[in-house]
This record gives sequence, structure tokens and C-alpha cells, in this order.
Amino acid sequence: MAKNEVAVVGVGLSKHVSKRRDVNIAELVWEAVSACYEDAGLKPKDIDAFVTGNMPAFEGVNLPEEWGAGHWGAYGKPLLRITTGGTTGGSVAHGGYYAVASGLCDTVMAVAFEKQSDGNSTAGLNTVAIADAAAQFALGVDPGFLAAFGGGAVGVAVYQASSYMKSSGCTTHHLDKVAALCRNNAALNPYSHLKQPGLTPEDVAKTVLMQYPIRFGHVCPATDGACAMIFTTGEKARKLTDKPAYVLSVASCSDEAAMVGIAGSGTTNVDPCAQESCKIAAAKAYELAGIKDPRREIDLAEPYAPFAHQLLMFYERLLLCDEGEAPSVLDSGSMNLDGELPVCPSGGVISTNAIGASAMERVAECALQIMGKCGERQVKKEVHKAVAHGWGGAVNLNVVAVLSDTPRR
Amino acid sequence: MDKEVAIIAYAQTPYEADANASREMQVLQVAKAALEAAGLKRDELDTVITANNDYLDGRTISNMRLVEPSGAWRKNESKVEMDGAYAVLYALMRILSGDHGIAMVVGESQASVYAGYVPGTMMLDPTFDRQRGLLNEVSAAALQARAYMHASGVTEEQIAGVAAKNLGNAAKNPLALRSDAGADAAKVLASRMLYSPIRELMTSALCDGACAIILASGKAATKAEKPVWIKGVGFSHDSYLTERSLSRLTSLKDAASRCYSMAGIENPASQIDLAEVHECFAHEELMAYEALGFCPEGEGGAFFDSGATRIDGSLPVNASGGAMCANVVCAAGMARIIEASMQIRGEAGERQVEGVKTALAHGQTGICAQENIVFVLGGE
Amino acid sequence: MERFFDGMREGKLMASRCPGCGRVFLPPRMVCERCLTRAEDWVELPLTGSVETFTEAHVRLAPDGTLEDLEDPELIAMVRHDGADTCVAARLDAPQAAVGMRVEAVLDPGAENVLDLLSCYRAAE
Ligand SMILES: [Zn+2]
Repeated sequence: MAKNEVAVVGVGLSKHVSKRRDVNIAELVWEAVSACYEDAGLKPKDIDAFVTGNMPAFEGVNLPEEWGAGHWGAYGKPLLRITTGGTTGGSVAHGGYYAVASGLCDTVMAVAFEKQSDGNSTAGLNTVAIADAAAQFALGVDPGFLAAFGGGAVGVAVYQASSYMKSSGCTTHHLDKVAALCRNNAALNPYSHLKQPGLTPEDVAKTVLMQYPIRFGHVCPATDGACAMIFTTGEKARKLTDKPAYVLSVASCSDEAAMVGIAGSGTTNVDPCAQESCKIAAAKAYELAGIKDPRREIDLAEPYAPFAHQLLMFYERLLLCDEGEAPSVLDSGSMNLDGELPVCPSGGVISTNAIGASAMERVAECALQIMGKCGERQVKKEVHKAVAHGWGGAVNLNVVAVLSDTPRR
Repeated sequence: MDKEVAIIAYAQTPYEADANASREMQVLQVAKAALEAAGLKRDELDTVITANNDYLDGRTISNMRLVEPSGAWRKNESKVEMDGAYAVLYALMRILSGDHGIAMVVGESQASVYAGYVPGTMMLDPTFDRQRGLLNEVSAAALQARAYMHASGVTEEQIAGVAAKNLGNAAKNPLALRSDAGADAAKVLASRMLYSPIRELMTSALCDGACAIILASGKAATKAEKPVWIKGVGFSHDSYLTERSLSRLTSLKDAASRCYSMAGIENPASQIDLAEVHECFAHEELMAYEALGFCPEGEGGAFFDSGATRIDGSLPVNASGGAMCANVVCAAGMARIIEASMQIRGEAGERQVEGVKTALAHGQTGICAQENIVFVLGGE
Repeated sequence: MERFFDGMREGKLMASRCPGCGRVFLPPRMVCERCLTRAEDWVELPLTGSVETFTEAHVRLAPDGTLEDLEDPELIAMVRHDGADTCVAARLDAPQAAVGMRVEAVLDPGAENVLDLLSCYRAAE
């Protein structure tokens, strides 16, 4: 069976806001799906299979596609559900890539979404902590220590941010700058959630301190939103569009969690800012893509950064500069829309976080930038190769995809 | 597909009502056993796919704590939130892409820690059906059974007969949770009525357990002892239960036809030597006979009466005892694949069927078998 | 769904209809899965329909996930309203059921909870 070249020929996004009371989950997804069909110029009959995912506990619906997949045209079609927490959207996009690359399908729609206003995402995330807490009680761990992990994902992020700042020379001012950069980019993106044109680092520095060093302005909102992408073979893509975005490679890597769990899984010996698994995934993705020097060859990056420090930290872990150098890269202006290696032109996860969709929206933005469909936020330089990233779990699962305007050789 | 990807090793836990082990320990046990059976080291795995469900595991990101026990540490790992047979499909896709050579698939769930049929209700339309409280996996299956009986003229005795056959086969399966060598239709019909026509012994046995399967391509496959080749796969999805005809398994029929065309099967009843069907309820096995083309539509009951699907028949179905003897929700389809592989390799002990060269394995997800996947496997 | 519930308050059964293929959804759906079109036409359906399939419930699902015995078994039917392409699952208030049996919806326009507006079905003349 021939291995297929894979390309993105369509992207669709729903409106992203904090509470979509006007639509249910299936209808929200339909917005992204119908926009995606339109973008690609395809119809449901052209799709061979669907890959889908979200974070189920956030809506309180188990396997929502059982009831909702008809809304994305999956009636009578093969469907595969992939869910991996924060990386879900990225994992779903990877599923789309593999389904086409395997030769089992020609054209696949990948759909990722989250409607957090139907559920409670902190409660959802706390079930991660509660299951672990139960185990740790059994192991005799002090409940006071556990309390530090409360509050959903912020817990781990705080330790990670301080650790990153210590090892990199990143200051709180850099965090403020990242937030301002992203929210200004978001203002140019019609699908973003928090648009704050003209926001300055000084404004961010005035927001409430949640837990040092993280301020309210450094953190993502909770968003309702959906993203759909159509993957097809290189051959079909060239017939459909002059400018497909080829998926050169995908890779993921799962590390042990930097918190101890049941039956000895996880460890306290891993620094949550080390992100060895991100480096492994990135190296693998570049190798498969035939990229030898990512710093020179990558034109654009969409790291998954719901917290400001993560944009800088993952820029480094995606091997785009030396460790500890990202703050000075930020200062140089290189990450701006008109910079040498623009970062999060979409506004990033810090501006819009429909969790199950977020990691796919990174891939989608890379594809849109390569296809030149980004309107006001289109970066100045020509984008030949772009890298999309996602993290999930207790920041121990990483997914990376490399896209390009030319196919993989 | 001709000898591209093979199942080279597998392992299952015994199926228990309340296992004295955490799910992590069960996964570790099967992952290690499968690696040992394959003669592989963990380092040699390229990718790991897990099958589990956040609602059943009672935690978000249910794969997160399976990284170490499944052998996925610092490896390319992902999770399929469906029946484990779909995780096998995803591993197959990853290998066929050329990016990976050897894949580990693990599936697990522990019925002793989730609230029985409650997670199933979370699959219902949240705006109407779920809140009205009438439908659940069992009552919906009863509606399906009645619709099927009406359409195909099947009787309650025939449905009970399927359950009895599988419980009898299970008596020769040392891993089975529920078995009864002396079961007959009368005994099944005397069990507690739940939702007519479904009685207690017509439901599958929810339980604790885990399965692991290792897939490989190229050299790792050809040099393996008795590789079981994946000859075809097909999968499909049907409408929500109130929006389709419950009397037929349309998406299974669709999945089977995709699978058969890949595997070069024109006459399933004569070309397939044995089938393992994931029957969450006994009547679904009869529906599957029709959807899989073992008999014409509407003749599932008669086909069963002919004895063809008994362990000594021309096309034994669920020689293992099927899901009637053990139903680990996210691993049940993997258990079907493992049994089919064991039968091909001649490893099925007392329940071994003679001369199995080509076998079919089926998995399902969703209420009333909304989504179905079919594999055709073959030996040398 | 709003329109569906509001309709029942007035004693009417409102279904959504796909302008593309004409499929009629009750309970209403906003998108027709067969042709992926917004099902934004509305039609009023008669209260009558036929039993597609049914079950006699001897148990109910308890919060712990087990099935607990009901004192009196009750009928649950899946009903296809005349003119609809999808079904509604509801209680059937009748001594016995059969596939194909003619039934009519019993509405309770005064119900506090919108989910109780469609209270059950009963045999139609
Ligand atoms: Zn239509």
C-alpha cells in the first residue's frame, strides 16, 4: 500500500467566546464544520472518514459524537475518536494525518471542540487531581501539600513558571510582554476570544496576582469553540487548491507526570519546566520532515501556551533557540507579526482556549498562514515551514506537527 | 492488504468482577506479558495507543497515568476513546503511514469502579433523552431487540439460545468471568427480567480487565513466530438511536463490506472459518450474523438454529464465550481480536476449533452498537 | 428545542424540517445530517403516530448504576409521529403494546419542567 503525502485543504473555525448559550455542542461544531467544507470547496460526500475529540468531562457528555456526529456529516461514515486531554486537538489532527498517510483513507475531516460553558472545566481538571489525591492519601502524603495542586491547571503552571524564570533569566516583565503581544495579535483574529488591541505590558502588570509569578493577565480564558480541518492526499490537494499546506510530519511524546500518581506512576524528580518530551517530539518531527536546522528553516511557530511563560519555554523546547534565550529573542522583536520568526500570530491559547480544540487550532493557524488566508494577522514574511505544538496532561504529554508549502520528499 | 502488518503478540488479564489490582497494575501486567511474548524490549516500541474512557475511569485524561505501565514513557503515545479494536485500527494506521514499525495497544476498564450503566446514559442526547431518564444502555438495547425480533421473526428462545451457547463455550475459557457448561435457553429465560425481552443472562458481563496487543510491520513481523496478518479492516458510524432503524445493524453491514473488499472476501460464510463478535446483548449476535453476511437478512434466527455458529459448527461464533462471559468495555473488541488470533495460531486449548485459517473479529462503541469495526485476520 | 417546548405549552407538536431533503425531526434537530443543511423550517405534526418498538420495564437505573426492581412494570415506547422521520422515546400508558400500534401523545401544557410537557403516549382510537 502506497504511503500518501498529506495536505490540509480546508480549515473552519466557529465563533469563539466564553459562553455560547445560543447553540448546543453539536450546533457549535456545525459552525466550524460548515465553514471548513466551504473553505475546501468540498461536500460531506467527499469525506472518507472523520476523526474527532474533545475533553468529555468538560461538557458532561460521554462520547458526544454518538448524538452529535450527524451534525458534521459523519452519517454512515467511519469515525475515530481520539482524546488526550489538552493535546486532544493536536492528537485529532495527527489522527487525520495518519488516516491519510496510511493509505486507508483519501480525505479525512478532523473535528475538535469544547463547550466549557456546558460543564465545569476546573471540576473536570480536578478529577485529575482528585484521583491522584486519593492515591496520595493512601501513600500517606500530607493533604496540605496536595492543596497546592488545587485550582485546575494553574497549580502545575506556577511551579513551572518559577522554575523557568530561574533557569532562563525570564522576568515578570517578559511575561507581561508575551501577554501583550498575544492579545494584540488576537485583536486581528476574527476567531479569537480575548481581543485587547493596544494592550501594553504595563497594563498586564496591573492585573491581579493569582499566585506568584502568574497574574490574571498571564492566563487563558475559558472558551467555547470548535475547529475543523480537512486532510487529503497531496495529489488531490493539488487539484483542489493552488496552495495546500502539506503536513510534513507529526510526532508526540509522553513523559511521566511531574506529580506522583497511583501505583508509583509519575515522579517528583522531574522539573515541570524541563519538558524533555517536547524536545524529543520536536526532534523526531524535524527528522521526519527532513529539517536539519529548525532555527533557520522554521518560519513561524504556534506553541501551545495558556500561560505566558509557556510561550517562551516551549519556543526553546521546540528547539528554536538555545535554552534560556527565548526572553532575549522576544526582546529583539523577532516574535512579532513582522519579525523573523513570528510566534502565535493567532493570538495563541492565552487569548482563546476551547481546550479540546486548542491544540488543533495551532495546526490550523500554521496551515492558514502557509495558505496565506490570515487577513490582517497574516505575517509579513513568506511562510514556507511552520511548527505547531500542544501540551496536555500534567504538562507531560507533548504533540508537534510540521507544515510546509512544499511536500515531504 | 497482503502481509503488511501483523499481530505478533498479545496478553489479557483474567476477567474478574472486582480485580485485586489497580488499572495501572493490570495494564503493566498485560504490557509486560505481551512484550515478553513478542521477545521485544520496551525500547523497541515506536508508538503506544491506549483505549480507555474518561467517564469509566472517573478521571479526565484517563491515559495520563498509563504512560509508564503501558510502556509509553518518552514514546509517541495517543489514546482512542472507543472500543480497543479502534485503538488497534489507529496503531495500524500509524504503522501503514511508514512513520512507525512496532506498536503496542492496550485497553482497559474496571467495572468495579464505575457506576454500572450510568456512564452509558451520558451518551444520550443531553437536551432531551438523557434528562427524561427512561433510556439507558439496557432499555435502549431492549427497544433494539424488539425492533429486530419484529423485523426478522426472531424469538426470545433463539436469543436465549445465543446466551446459553456463549456461556457454554465460556466454560472452556479459563479467563472467563461468567460461564455455565450446562446452560440452556430455558435457564436463560428463567433469569431475572430487566427490560422485556432482555433478561439478566442476555446481558454481557461487565468486569475488570485489560488487554495488550503488539502490531508490527516489515522484518519484525516476518521474523515473528506465527504472525497473524491483518487482511482487512472496515469501520462505520450510524445515526443517533432515535434517528435510525434499530432493527438492523446498518453500520456493521457497512463496516463489513469495507473490510471484505480490502480482504478479498466475497462469500463470508464460506471464506471465514471463525468469528468473534462483540455482543453487548445476546440478540446483537443474531443481528451481526445478518449484518456480517453470514446469512441473508432476516434469517439470523434460522442460521442460529442450524447449529452453524456452535463451536462444532461450520462457522463458530464466539468460541471464547464472547462478551456474555466478560465485557471489559474499552478492551472487549481487543479480546475478540486476541481470541481470533489464538484460534488461528492454534493456542485456544480446550476450545480450539480445527483448521482456522481466516477469522473475523468485531468491536462496537455507543448505545445499540452505533459504531462498528470489523477486522479479518489470517495466518500464513 | 425552545420552539419545541414552547409549542407544547400551546398544545402543539412542532418539528424541524430540512429544506434540502424534507426530513422531519421530532424532537427537532438544527442540522440535517443526511445533507448537512440547516433544518430551519418548522412544521406542526399531529399528536398521533405508530409504535416503532417498545419494551416493558421491570427495572429502573439506580444512581449507583445497578438496575433496581420496579413495583409495577411500565411500558416504554419509541414512537414515530405521523409525518416524522425520527422517533420519540416515552412512557406508554396502555395495558399492552405492539409494534405498529396507533398511539397519541398526551401533553401537559402546564407542566413546570419543560421535560414533562410530553408526559406520555396512550392508545389512539
Ligand atoms: Zn436534509
